[in-house]
Amino acid sequence: MSAMLLQWMQWFQLFCAVVCSIRLITAKTASDRLVALNVLAGVVLALLVLRGVSQGRSIYLDVALVYDIFGFLGFLAIARFLKDRMTGDGGE
Amino acid sequence: MIIKEIFAILFFALSCIFGIAGLIGMFRFHDPYSKLQAGSLCGTTSVFSVFLGAIFLSPNTAVTGRLIIIAIFFLISAPTGSHIVARFAWNAGIIPWNPNKNNTFSRKEDE
Repeated sequence: MSAMLLQWMQWFQLFCAVVCSIRLITAKTASDRLVALNVLAGVVLALLVLRGVSQGRSIYLDVALVYDIFGFLGFLAIARFLKDRMTGDGGE
Repeated sequence: MIIKEIFAILFFALSCIFGIAGLIGMFRFHDPYSKLQAGSLCGTTSVFSVFLGAIFLSPNTAVTGRLIIIAIFFLISAPTGSHIVARFAWNAGIIPWNPNKNNTFSRKEDE
């Protein structure tokens, strides 16, 4: 019962990740892409956590924690890079 | 054993409802602020419900402890990311969408 529940939730999170990726590719402005990337990071984190719990191995949860930390740092770097480029281009 | 599974089903159903609502809102709203509100709030609630349901289904104590650490870190990092996106959109000069007039919420630099 619980194995089937975790399996279904993994498929649902995979579906959400695919829809977020479609939104990430087809968005028009940089802000929409950042919103989709923000949601995608959380969805992939949930997918890794469900995978680790369904396999019963805690190594997947370590991977999920490190993925969350590095995803947050990368997100910060992308936002800073886009802001610098935007002020450099259209500021003056 | 069965009570744990009932609680897990409750939290997973909550996660499915909020996840679908967040995805629809991310596609249907007009400006980046509304999309950020839908995606960020519903995404955070959905992922946190997945964590709570997984805590009920976790097989041993090592998994439970790591789940609690991940949940605490996620509660810190997800609102910070949303704040970064909102500040980026505001600095980029995007005007919030208003259904009545074209722009009542004018930016401070324009006045």
